[in-house]
Amino acid sequence: MVKPLLNLLLGLLISSCCFAQGRTVNGKVTAKADGTPLPGVSVMVKGTSNGTQTDAQGNFGLDAPLSAKVLTISYLGYKTQEAVITAGTISITLDDNRQSLSEVIVTGYNAQSEREIAGSVATIKAEQINQVPIASFDQALQGRAPGVLVQASSGQPGAAANVVVRGRGSILGSTNPLYIMDGIEITAADFATINTQDIADVTILRDALATAQYGSRGANGVVVISTKQGRAGRAIVRYDAQFGRSTAPDSKVTLMNSAQKLDYELANGNPNGWTADQIAVLKQTNTDWKDVIFKTGITKSHNLSVSGGVDKTKYFVSGSLFDQSGTVLTTGLKRYNGRVNLSSGTQDFDFGLNSSYGYSNFSNTSEANTVNASPLNAIRWINPYLTPYSPDGSYTESVTGQPNPLPYLLENNNSRGQLKLVGNVYAVYHVPVVKGLYAKVNGGVDYTSNEITNFISPVIGFNQPGGRGALTRGYGKLTRYTLTSSIGYNKKIDQDHSISATLFNEIVSAKSNSFRFTGYGLGGAFENESGITPGTATNNFIPVVAGGGGADPNNPSALLGPNALLSYFANVKYNYKERYFVESYLRRDGSSRFGADRRYANFGSVGVSWIASNEDFFAPVKSIFSDLKLKASYGSAGNQPVTADFLPRELYGRAVYNGVSGLVQSQLNNPELQWERRTTFNTGLEFTAWNGRIGGSFDYYNALTSNLLLNQQLSRTVGRTSLISNSGKLRNSGIEASLNVDVLKLQDFDWNVFANFTYNKSKIVALLPDQNEIIDGIYINRVGEKLNQLYMVRYVGVNPANGNSIYLDKNNNPTETYSSNNRVLVGSAETPYFGGFGSSITYKGFEASAFLSFVKGNKILNYDRSNVEYPYAADNLSADLLREWRTPGQVTDIPSPNNIYIAETTRFVEIGDFLRLRNATISYSLPKTWLSRVKVNSLRVFVQGQNLVTWTKYRGFDPEYATGNLIGAQYPALRTITAGLNIAL
Amino acid sequence: MKFRNYVLGAGLGLALATTSCKKVLNVAPEYALDGSQIFTSLTDYEYSLTGTYSLLRQNGYYGNGSTGTGAWSSLPDMMGDDLLQTNEDLGNYGRLSNYTFTPNETTVSTAWTAAYNVITQANITIRGIDRFQSANAQKVNRIKGQALALRAMAHFDLLRYWGSDFERNSTGLGIPYVTEVNAFAKPSRLTVKDTYDRIFADLNVAETLLANVDAPINSASSKANIDLTAVRALLARVYLYSKNYTQAEAYATQVITAAPLAAASNFANIWKDGSQSEVIFALVYSNISEGNPHAQVHTASLNRNCYRPTAGFMNLFADKTADVRYSANVASRSTGTGAAIVTDPASTITRKIVNKHIGKGTSVDNVVNWKVLRTGEMYLIRAEARAMQQGKETLALADLNSLRAARVSNYTAVNLSGQALIDAIFTERRKELFAEGHRWFDLKRTSRTITRTDNVGAFSGLQSALTSASKVWVFPIPQGEIDANPNIRTQQSPGW
Repeated sequence: MVKPLLNLLLGLLISSCCFAQGRTVNGKVTAKADGTPLPGVSVMVKGTSNGTQTDAQGNFGLDAPLSAKVLTISYLGYKTQEAVITAGTISITLDDNRQSLSEVIVTGYNAQSEREIAGSVATIKAEQINQVPIASFDQALQGRAPGVLVQASSGQPGAAANVVVRGRGSILGSTNPLYIMDGIEITAADFATINTQDIADVTILRDALATAQYGSRGANGVVVISTKQGRAGRAIVRYDAQFGRSTAPDSKVTLMNSAQKLDYELANGNPNGWTADQIAVLKQTNTDWKDVIFKTGITKSHNLSVSGGVDKTKYFVSGSLFDQSGTVLTTGLKRYNGRVNLSSGTQDFDFGLNSSYGYSNFSNTSEANTVNASPLNAIRWINPYLTPYSPDGSYTESVTGQPNPLPYLLENNNSRGQLKLVGNVYAVYHVPVVKGLYAKVNGGVDYTSNEITNFISPVIGFNQPGGRGALTRGYGKLTRYTLTSSIGYNKKIDQDHSISATLFNEIVSAKSNSFRFTGYGLGGAFENESGITPGTATNNFIPVVAGGGGADPNNPSALLGPNALLSYFANVKYNYKERYFVESYLRRDGSSRFGADRRYANFGSVGVSWIASNEDFFAPVKSIFSDLKLKASYGSAGNQPVTADFLPRELYGRAVYNGVSGLVQSQLNNPELQWERRTTFNTGLEFTAWNGRIGGSFDYYNALTSNLLLNQQLSRTVGRTSLISNSGKLRNSGIEASLNVDVLKLQDFDWNVFANFTYNKSKIVALLPDQNEIIDGIYINRVGEKLNQLYMVRYVGVNPANGNSIYLDKNNNPTETYSSNNRVLVGSAETPYFGGFGSSITYKGFEASAFLSFVKGNKILNYDRSNVEYPYAADNLSADLLREWRTPGQVTDIPSPNNIYIAETTRFVEIGDFLRLRNATISYSLPKTWLSRVKVNSLRVFVQGQNLVTWTKYRGFDPEYATGNLIGAQYPALRTITAGLNIAL
Repeated sequence: MKFRNYVLGAGLGLALATTSCKKVLNVAPEYALDGSQIFTSLTDYEYSLTGTYSLLRQNGYYGNGSTGTGAWSSLPDMMGDDLLQTNEDLGNYGRLSNYTFTPNETTVSTAWTAAYNVITQANITIRGIDRFQSANAQKVNRIKGQALALRAMAHFDLLRYWGSDFERNSTGLGIPYVTEVNAFAKPSRLTVKDTYDRIFADLNVAETLLANVDAPINSASSKANIDLTAVRALLARVYLYSKNYTQAEAYATQVITAAPLAAASNFANIWKDGSQSEVIFALVYSNISEGNPHAQVHTASLNRNCYRPTAGFMNLFADKTADVRYSANVASRSTGTGAAIVTDPASTITRKIVNKHIGKGTSVDNVVNWKVLRTGEMYLIRAEARAMQQGKETLALADLNSLRAARVSNYTAVNLSGQALIDAIFTERRKELFAEGHRWFDLKRTSRTITRTDNVGAFSGLQSALTSASKVWVFPIPQGEIDANPNIRTQQSPGW
């Protein structure tokens, strides 16, 4: 209470002494976008230190000398503006500044102005992702930022995407970027319990300078998420809601209908032994099994937030409900979130708390496998002449071994309850006696627990011990602490030179464990633990228990356990005349994942940037090019193996034989294992032109991963196939470009187009000393070639004479003999070209926008198609097999069923290119004049479609797939149409 | 206000100071042991031996799974002429049983790696154990003897698939014989002769060591481990393959003396793990989480009959009721999960299943011990070995009649000689050892010819014959091994 008084006194003193020659200038500042008053805006008399801030209603009153003519109005996130002082209330509207280098970007431990950043960063704003009706926010990043490839392999509600920044830089190490939320590391690919609408912006750090502050973990890029904060002023209440429907896309593979299938069976030996009478009856039925398990999914979302503040105390509180059912029966996600962000402080101290509390309940079906009981496989394999139910109401059983998918969805239950808490507390102390010196501590935790339930009904659980179903319940948790301490010093030496230096210490420590039990003999009135029959020596119902150091109760691995990182680093920044910027990081990182003498490694980076547009010689073109920045950086970042926490050690795990405990070697040791290191050179430019109407950026990078973690192939005579070791070098180089153009900017009509494009080229530079290639199943990595190339024999067609497959041998000569010696490189599973583009048109309150993303140049082995082209006549098959070779002379593209079938040939290699209409939105914001009467700040209604159209030649449900081998049971991406409203009071 | 600043400043300083502690990196695994800190006592070696046995359960050895069927349990019969693929099989193993697989075949590579995985764990059990010899010789004998026997058995099993032939002094391609723990070794294939030399060397040492141990290895109620009798049974089998008939006969005799044939009334019970009668070594499967040895032939719990007994095999039994083996081998079962298993040979149900590995007691989950060695085989080894020796035909016939008498009620002894006797012994092998992982190897070491007659061609792809010229008789070295091991690259089995 003392300080505000002091300020007041001081203010009075200043104002009183100026009063004689001055006057009071009054005004009001509002946001251009929605007309809301902006509190806390800095209003200065241009060229002086005389200024004030707006109050909660956006009003200001400033005592200014008569000589003052112009005010400078600046506010974080908005374009700085000047206003001529006039009599009466000056009305100022601020425009947000997405195309100006003055933007402030949170790049990690601190916020930097875009101007001074020498590294390569991309920012995605809240409005681009907040309303996307997908639970996992990473999926909403698709195509939004250059250099960032986001691939969602699954449409299952809550599924995470696979995110790769600037090409896969590692083969065995992690390729996930590091995710930081409000300074705290959060687990990658586990975002379904984070409320997307709490996110203020997402910044993706791409080059070595930008990621250097996360050096030991930054090799794959860093995704920095900032959550929304309140701002001083009147409380603003926002409510967002949307409702919608989702459908599954059509598959490009057509299956046989009943008549076709029965004819096919008869032509292929009648494996199911049908009689003519039976066939006549069966032909009456024609079940499309897709219709049996697919349905229309429903999405509902409500989000309510209140934010505001007084002086330094600011708050943001939100609560949300997200309820999405998938397109497969019984699948879905229900999520409840709460968030409190609070900051306060005194003159010298800043304190803050950001906290998020979320609970999700997932109901899933099995996917990405070749298990015949997986409903997503079963709908393709079960015969169309069967019905889901028998006449007596029971589930139909196939005469073949193929299960009916329906009871697996309706009778079983596979669910997961996830609790996720992410929170951090920070304190900053600005040392009063030494101006510019401060100390900061930021500590926080990411806590995730999962409770799994897997109920296998006695109706179909014959294969469980005792033959009467099973109930698995499991619990796992992961706790990761991040504690960062820093001391920093900023100094402006004179008008031209400013320097800052910061020392950091950081600890990241994670611990996880899990356990589960499975009980048998379900029955009676209960489908929970009460239904388990106690085990005896004879009834086979003895429960099974398991546990270990992994966080996933389904896989409580003994190879996982506690792990920790310890880092010391320093950051120095210098700039001259706000024109030339130099920045450098030096750091030393230790990881518990490496052996004692390989534990520490040094990383560093340096970058320079030059604001050419501030040079005097630039003045003549300044009216066209308002900003031009050139930049370059060079540096290194580290990466660790992810499959296990104790790879340098030889490990022995428990084994039980005949009721006696024993030990087996569970891991070979590699004491030499050390950090993977990615060294990146980056250069680029950023510009805005024609008064901000055109903005763009261009980057070139060249990254070399050394000490590449590889599966060193072992002779199988050691009882194992491979050992993780550091060997090899991998280069990723490429260009990234983005452009944003306000084509038209009229009084009531705006037309904007935007696009971004990335080209990434990978090349294996070196492998093990004595090897120039590593073959790992269908993939090969060969020196001089691209990463993860598919390696298989080329299939060119069918010999009309005998129906045999024709392959090409190494010398391009046709042969009917399959030999693995004839394998060649047939294309990479990695995507070289990708990007996104779109446009928006605004007319008065109406806005229409569309956003498309694309990938090009990757290859996929479509095992999913192979699964229905393998001529196994007993179960259903692709209709293409109706063309199979049967008589000599027949010219066709499907070999004889008697020909040896090999899936791993180019017959099933497809092009992964696709273009997808990610999002299309039409919205209308009601006029302020109407709203002000009912005391509403803004009201917007919208209709949007997600994944509405996909253009592709890929033959399956969905070409979006992160690896080169789509093995089966694909849950396609949801096509969702929602309608909703956003209201602010 | 100043005081408050000092407190906060001090707090910040403290936080900075405490975080510089390096101890944070000193973490250790909690659910596994560091190899550098164990094997300090014989207890750890004992643990490792137990672990070696447990590895025999893995997919590809005796275990079944989606990534590889039991190469030494179900596969030898699937690839023979006593079982036939059905339309319920889902095509998982059709490439193997129809001889259309390649060196990329998962089952082939899984079997290869699984066997060497067992060998590596056996070698870990042997490595350094001799330093405890002076302190506790008998205990060392017990552990090391079993580990040597397991190592020899796994190598012999590899030789059965990958050996070019079974002649004792053959210079054809054998297999790499691994006796050292070295992750980076890149061994070549030995000749068949050299492979035999090492198998016999290990088994002979094992026999010596296991004759002088500190505690019994098996008991009357448990035959879960390899004891002296089991080593001798292994020796009898290997000598038979290598055609050293005198030694085969001698070892079989020792085993038969130690473990007489089961009573006929007890025979069916052996397959339900209700009796250990005549069991010499059975690998224990205790519960469903440990897998099972035979579900890919008949998945009992789901009543999925992937491979069924052939008519040719069933017709070998002249009197299906009198011979206790028929109903132990074959049962009838209608389709539909939960359908009853009917063991009455007179059943009119036409769908026949392999009944030998259904489960313990009344369970129908395929969780049942895998009988690696039992006395029935020893009689057949001795009968064959005697029939192949000059002047021992009578003894051979006596063995055949003794075995039949133990299995067939009211059996009348037959009188056979010459080729008829040898043929009868081989036919008896099929009846006695059906679905016990012998058929492929028995064909390989004798006629190298398969003729399938039962309903062949019922659906596309079923193969009716395999000639002795086929490359399939000698399995291909898995592609992964070829790709990773330059020393074996030029030694691929012929024709692959």
